[in-house]
Amino acid sequence: MSVSSTPLEPLGSEVLLQDGNAMVLSMGPQHPSTHGVLQIMLEIEGETVVKAEPEIGYLHTGIEKTAENLFWTQAQTVIERMDYLAPESNALCYCLAVEKLLGVEAEIPERATLIRVLVAELTRIASHCVWLGTHGIDLGALSIFFYCFDLRENILDLQEAAGGARMHPNYVRVGGVNGDLPDGFLTRLDALIEKFPGRMRELRALLQKNPIFQDRTIDVGIVSAEQAVGWALTGPALRASGVAYDVRRAFPYCGYDKYEFDVPTRKEGDAYARFLVRLDEMDEAMRIVAQVRKALRPGPTMSSNVKFAPPPKETIAISMEALIHHFKLVSEGFRVPPGDVYASVEGPRGELGYYVVSDGGNRPYRVRTRPPSLYNLQALKGMAPGNLIADLVVMIGSMDPVFGEVDR
Amino acid sequence: MPSPQAPPMAGTAIDPTSVRPDLADAQIERVAPASLRARLEALKSEGYAMLLDIGGVDYPRRDARFDVVYHLLKLPVSSATVQEIGTPNRIRVLCAVPENVALPTVSDLWKNADWAEREIFDLFGIRFDGHPDMRRIQMPTHWEGHPLRKDYPVRGPARERAPRPDFANKGNVPAGTPPTGKSAQVLEEQNVAQDHKR
Repeated sequence: MSVSSTPLEPLGSEVLLQDGNAMVLSMGPQHPSTHGVLQIMLEIEGETVVKAEPEIGYLHTGIEKTAENLFWTQAQTVIERMDYLAPESNALCYCLAVEKLLGVEAEIPERATLIRVLVAELTRIASHCVWLGTHGIDLGALSIFFYCFDLRENILDLQEAAGGARMHPNYVRVGGVNGDLPDGFLTRLDALIEKFPGRMRELRALLQKNPIFQDRTIDVGIVSAEQAVGWALTGPALRASGVAYDVRRAFPYCGYDKYEFDVPTRKEGDAYARFLVRLDEMDEAMRIVAQVRKALRPGPTMSSNVKFAPPPKETIAISMEALIHHFKLVSEGFRVPPGDVYASVEGPRGELGYYVVSDGGNRPYRVRTRPPSLYNLQALKGMAPGNLIADLVVMIGSMDPVFGEVDR
Repeated sequence: MPSPQAPPMAGTAIDPTSVRPDLADAQIERVAPASLRARLEALKSEGYAMLLDIGGVDYPRRDARFDVVYHLLKLPVSSATVQEIGTPNRIRVLCAVPENVALPTVSDLWKNADWAEREIFDLFGIRFDGHPDMRRIQMPTHWEGHPLRKDYPVRGPARERAPRPDFANKGNVPAGTPPTGKSAQVLEEQNVAQDHKR
């Protein structure tokens, strides 16, 4: 943190000091508890925040602009990098939007849909693991980080086995998923499902009843239901304030209406409530994974419509048509009929939406993301005033922002 | 400013938004800039309590160049269960706005419009009248141009390149050429040292 008695350059004029007692403090963008590159211009009196103005954009990489200049399939590569903790949620939402525009939702094989739900829920658990570990570190609880990352590593191993990469597997594709689950995947998944409840007990035992953790989080950063809706909070942040809005239930996609799962909610709306909601969500996510595991049957994992779905690699060596289609899809992509569509999924951080416009070409005309982190983070402006700086750290952690997504 | 030699984007789209009413992902409405504020106020009082998102699209070949796209969600503003929420109404309000025309802000109706409108100003250059803090949000404050406009080059504005360092200008040296300059001096010193050891 750097301290300055005069207002710093990027501030708007309204943050200028009103009287001699307040001080302007720039927190970040290198502060470890800001989970990335967040700068908060704080106006403080003693330790109390009078006004907080988050400054974002340090990680702006122009992903939406880049996506407009890539083929529909290529664009997914950069889109997965927005929310780098839950790449498969981004890919899934984008694919759902493109499939709607193509009008091929009915052509997605059942097994592909099941696998999509599987990876989306696993990625939710992995993302919450990172949140829990780093949230613990923010509050001085170091051990939980290692337990969380160990559990996350199990999921990333599965992700690597299925998609070929730990972080950005690019596994969900338009038309299905890229290749079937490899041999031995289900055995490893079964092992994970079996040991997961024990792992969750460990994680809960480490923090849930910890008096220091409770002191730091209970009644900190309280958001009422009205405020939460007004700030457009979504995901666990909204549900911790009592509003049980979950895209999986409100606008079911990928057959989520068939699964049995609860939408955990709390009424308190404080940082501890958000902590509990996310922990419960991890349990629910694994419940869905177990149901998917039971429902998995052999079958195709990619649409057979070669106009947008690449034919299976094995057929390329023996079928001229397959080779031609493959060549066309790789060299010039596929075309999407003109139109605009909004598709949304329940990402780990909230409603992740894509407003996609096509002009009939082989590249997206516009890909607008509705980034849940952006809006969740913005609520800090309303939450922080009147609280201590130390509590601000708790609030940032409990909102779980990912800056790849906030800044895009 | 974006460099003039940048190739214009494909931009074949004049208005693809109205051609696919079959994609019923939301109720869709188009309003004029003049009636936008009144319509959104009415929607807010109808119970559209959450402003999901504001996005922008650039159609350079259209008279009203930009589309500003509001997504609203009808949610209760108090605790509600999954059953009480059910499938909430979602509405998309599109507003075509010409270049250099400002839209009325809605940041007083929905608090989260604050950053969303700033982002549209930053990346498209559409101003919002009455916004409390209309400045750039993603790009640096001194940035010129609006990157998500279709005429903005993908790789950014043309910049003067830094001069190549001296060593890069020497071209290829054929193999076996004895070293010159400082490296020759260093080699010489090493040889002397080795001779000395022997």
